Amino acid sequence: MDFVYQGKCWKFGDNLAVDADLTKKEFASQRETRLEVLRDFVMCGVDPDFPKKAKPHDIVVAGRRFAQGNPHIQGLLGLKSLDLGFVCESIPRGSYRNAINAGVPFMTHCWGVPKECETGDDLRVNFANGVFENLTRKTRVQYKPLPPELLEKVAIGGWEKAVALRIASMRAEGLMKPAATPAG
Amino acid sequence: MGQTLTEKILSRVMGKPVKAGETIYPVPDLMTVHDWYVVNFDKALIDLGVDTLYDPNRVLISTDHEPVATNPASAERQKKIRQIVRKYGIKHFYDVGRGGLGHIFPMEMGMIRPGMLVLAYDTHVTNYGAVGCLGIPMVFEIPEVLACGSVWISVPETVRVNLTGKLKAGMTIRDVSQKMIVDIGEDNLDYLVVEYGGPSLNDIGFGGRMTLCNNPLEMGAKSALIESDEWTVNFLKGRTDVPYELQKSDPDARFKSVHDYDLGLMEPQVAAPPRPDNVVGVTTVAGTPVHHAFIGSCANGSIEDMREAATVLRGRKVHEGVRLFITPATQEIAVKAGEEGLITEFMNAGAVMTAPGCGPCAGGRIAPMAPGENSINTGTRNDPGRLGTREGNVYLASPLTVAASAIAGEIADPRKYL
Repeated sequence: MDFVYQGKCWKFGDNLAVDADLTKKEFASQRETRLEVLRDFVMCGVDPDFPKKAKPHDIVVAGRRFAQGNPHIQGLLGLKSLDLGFVCESIPRGSYRNAINAGVPFMTHCWGVPKECETGDDLRVNFANGVFENLTRKTRVQYKPLPPELLEKVAIGGWEKAVALRIASMRAEGLMKPAATPAG
Repeated sequence: MGQTLTEKILSRVMGKPVKAGETIYPVPDLMTVHDWYVVNFDKALIDLGVDTLYDPNRVLISTDHEPVATNPASAERQKKIRQIVRKYGIKHFYDVGRGGLGHIFPMEMGMIRPGMLVLAYDTHVTNYGAVGCLGIPMVFEIPEVLACGSVWISVPETVRVNLTGKLKAGMTIRDVSQKMIVDIGEDNLDYLVVEYGGPSLNDIGFGGRMTLCNNPLEMGAKSALIESDEWTVNFLKGRTDVPYELQKSDPDARFKSVHDYDLGLMEPQVAAPPRPDNVVGVTTVAGTPVHHAFIGSCANGSIEDMREAATVLRGRKVHEGVRLFITPATQEIAVKAGEEGLITEFMNAGAVMTAPGCGPCAGGRIAPMAPGENSINTGTRNDPGRLGTREGNVYLASPLTVAASAIAGEIADPRKYL
């Protein structure tokens, strides 16, 4: 996976709710995880036209407590469905895990990042080494990237693929019994 | 450099020293799952092609979110849970009427001891910190823990809180706890473990210790725990024969920050909607009409909470415009409340007792509120929808304040009722 995303900046504020802002809130209780369904509702709580405007490798920039609320994965899977990355000042622990589980490249604890850009700026973000470049302003900031072992899960494509590989590897090492019935 | 209590627990589990910031795969001593997720984890395991658990002897399932099935679909779910328990050979299954709230009864039964690590499908497993156990919530990845035995965690840093001073009349640990998480602040809690110590711990019993370990979650903490002391030893006496070690953080352990916190608050505290950190003194919201009230939950469903509620309700009547639900969190607490005559006092006051478990706090499946109503309760959260409808206002407070408000028909200062 290429961890360098170059695209437009989409800047939002603080406290975006993972259920009501990042996606349609009913998706959590319906346990909807199909990317083709989630795709049309990304960020619908704050900008219903967002899915039509955003392009792959665009970057969502947010302030504090991005994706707050009950730790449901649907809002993060929505970002994955459009192949977006995000950079924020903070994210609650459950959504941090779910961003990795959804396979979305991101950086958090990037204090002051909302001041580094505006919606529409051209950004280039290297999620592997933490370099955040605003090509419009010609500025560059160094943030701390995710640990390599967590980035690897993002690169694999998220939790389901990563855990399937882990199970296969544990079975190969004899650490887990083979299944009596194949995966359904 | 010394280790924090959390680093010691995780080092023991990993069999090697670990320090804050490392990513590790610890195999927990126990994994707990509640009734609303069992069917889901079974489906996830089937999808992954897994038909055996890593260690079914380390898995505990409790029917606490909906102990009394409220419709045929719920009864069907309970039936499936029993089948799934048999299918995987899960050792610790506490069905309807067998344990109660899964964040509490395993401590009463001596299954949770100092120094243990528990991973759980539910955020409030941090209650186990009351006896010095590190309980860490997982949600989406619980099938991985069940199948593979572990999942990644980052070894967290610790914020140390030394409790000082004494509670004033009309104040409870709930008042202190919900004010404290605001005063210490989200930035000092995010991703961290809160470790409690200090001279005032001696005065705090099981209920208060659980409340202290419960509330920080709402501000982003990863977990919370209390350093084991004489109280812990006395609590576990007669509850377990399994040896355990009392551990504390090393004197030179590195904490992210250290806070002294005085229990001597001047005024009862209420968390107004829509967030648990929207905390104000009770006088600020006094007079707000109340329609629905509830005493219980993993934050405040202990026998101490029942006793506190009774000090206000004794010999009084719940206001005619209010329905008051009281949920002793576990079978053991309900039995004690009965033996002490508290249930009689609650019923005489016009309260309704509900089955041990989470009570209305589990999404309002039991005893919800109606749109346009206000509830004051001792639950864990007050975000819209927590008690069924999104069009209602939820206030969080101590058992004393909830009981006083149920009598007054409006949010009331409990000090007038003592």
